[in-house]
Amino acid sequence: MKRADPSPHLRIVVVNSGDAQAGCADPAALAAQAGRSAALRVGLLESGYDIIASLPPDIFLPERIAQLQPDLIIVDSESDARDVLEHIVIATREARRPIVLFTEDDSADTMEAAVAAGVSAYIVAGLRAERVRPVLDVALARFRREQKLLGELADTRQKLAERKVIDRAKGVLMTRHALLEDEAYGRLRSLAMNKNMRLAEIAQRILDVEDLLGAGPAKGSA
Amino acid sequence: MSSPAANGVHSTGSDRPEKTELRIGFMPLADCAPLVMASVLGFDDKYGIKLVLEKQHSWSAMRDRLTSGELDAAQALYGLLYGLQMGIGSGAHDMAVLMNLNQNGQAIVLSRAIAAAGVRDGAQLAALMREQPRRYTFGHTFPTGNHAMWLCYWLAAAGIDPLAPTRQTRLVTVPPGQMASNLEAGHMDGFCAGEPWSRRAVMEASGVLAASSGQVWPDHPGKALGARQDFVARHPNSCRALVAALLDTARWLDASPTNREAAAEVLASPAYVHADIDLLRSCLVARRTDFPGLRFFGDGEATFPWLSDGMWFLTQQRRWGLLRADPDYLGVARRVNQVALYREAALLAGVDLPGAELRSSTLMDGRVWDGSDPVGYAASFEIHQRDPEPLSA
Repeated sequence: MKRADPSPHLRIVVVNSGDAQAGCADPAALAAQAGRSAALRVGLLESGYDIIASLPPDIFLPERIAQLQPDLIIVDSESDARDVLEHIVIATREARRPIVLFTEDDSADTMEAAVAAGVSAYIVAGLRAERVRPVLDVALARFRREQKLLGELADTRQKLAERKVIDRAKGVLMTRHALLEDEAYGRLRSLAMNKNMRLAEIAQRILDVEDLLGAGPAKGSA
Repeated sequence: MSSPAANGVHSTGSDRPEKTELRIGFMPLADCAPLVMASVLGFDDKYGIKLVLEKQHSWSAMRDRLTSGELDAAQALYGLLYGLQMGIGSGAHDMAVLMNLNQNGQAIVLSRAIAAAGVRDGAQLAALMREQPRRYTFGHTFPTGNHAMWLCYWLAAAGIDPLAPTRQTRLVTVPPGQMASNLEAGHMDGFCAGEPWSRRAVMEASGVLAASSGQVWPDHPGKALGARQDFVARHPNSCRALVAALLDTARWLDASPTNREAAAEVLASPAYVHADIDLLRSCLVARRTDFPGLRFFGDGEATFPWLSDGMWFLTQQRRWGLLRADPDYLGVARRVNQVALYREAALLAGVDLPGAELRSSTLMDGRVWDGSDPVGYAASFEIHQRDPEPLSA
């Protein structure tokens, strides 16, 4: 992995997504945010960036940020703490000229990619965009990797679920037709090939039919 | 501006929507009812469009999606759209208010501790703050937004300067769902937010109702249907159909308590507001008669994009120093509020049109706002921060 200039002097604050939001957002969205937020921190640390604090998205956020005086605040774009940060943006708009990167950045591509990946950044001091972009690149790369892993996990889960369906369909065939396990599996495979369907699909059909018709006396050990 | 209605006879087909699937942002609040019910009841279908509703978790994210084009339109704080037009805190974007989506239905809630000291209104709060000086913290939902403006107006009407350099009063932005818990924990002394979050704090006894927003300004403007001006210019037919569909829905919502009950049932779902159905029912089906409750239609009065409504937010943003100079109030409101397009949609939906573009309102302190002298009005308040000291972070 390429190691760009880690800009060690950049003071970064990451806003967590966590408990403080309990009771308002839906749990699935919160879990996704928490995952992205963790991935972001790991990614930045791995690349040598200095995270001076990781703050909860609560009512004290503006005060903590005022004490820490970070150069850059990174927050999940789905976090409801975005509006809390907006308060800082407006309160400091004269003195420190904060820039909300993604509304003033001329590169729409970066903005769209960042929004899609779930990251928003607030530049608190008068930083130049060039210094911020590498940080975001790291964040984006990490998100993509995380996304890929999640995709693989979902794939594995689906395969496991299909395995179960196939096993149950095998069981139905063995009971209905007094077949051995191997024979039942062979029957499933040839059915799938003849009908040009995936094994899991044909297994599901068998189970559907069993559901419809299986309530009769032929039903053995379900 | 082009003249979209020049030959816009409905039956000719020349008003076919340029874009049929419209991506619409909404916030989990009771006043998202028009958008949700338009989609659920199929009023969108009637006008040849389909609303694709996308739930948002913050006003900031919604703003970014509107300006980046990820959303075609959204249920936005009226004040936020004007703040965005003027570039307060972000880049300036030419925005459009297509219609007003609701009136009333927000509230100012004070903590139990404050109520225990005998405080029930602004004057009593001001007296308490004089007798027991300390820093008092009040929450709202967005710096340029409606709740911030209602809160500041209410405090100032009682003689409390919300932005005084003494910092006796501190304003914070808090997501509405976190208001009750922060009040309960003693982090705040009061807040202003929309239903159902203000009502939940009262029902769960985290706080007491100090004022309904309908008492601050009876039938005040609420959330607006916002879009980018260039989107409206490129999709006049889609926007007209959208407004017409929402006018139908607003009429349905105000037609009977039964319809409001049905809306409460739908909104309670996790896909929309994700809140207790009884709580939503109490927000949507008005019981109190001493102040006006959530209103969606009002025979086309509640939906009309009054220029005076838009200008009012500019006058308050000027009053509190968010705007450092007087803008061309009427000129900005004329550009932002799409009155001509609204009129076409109202004809399409068979909704009455008012004869004027300005309306006269009397706010809680007896002041009359009719839009005729915005510069004078903005400068008329004894309590203001028109030229605030630069704040440091």
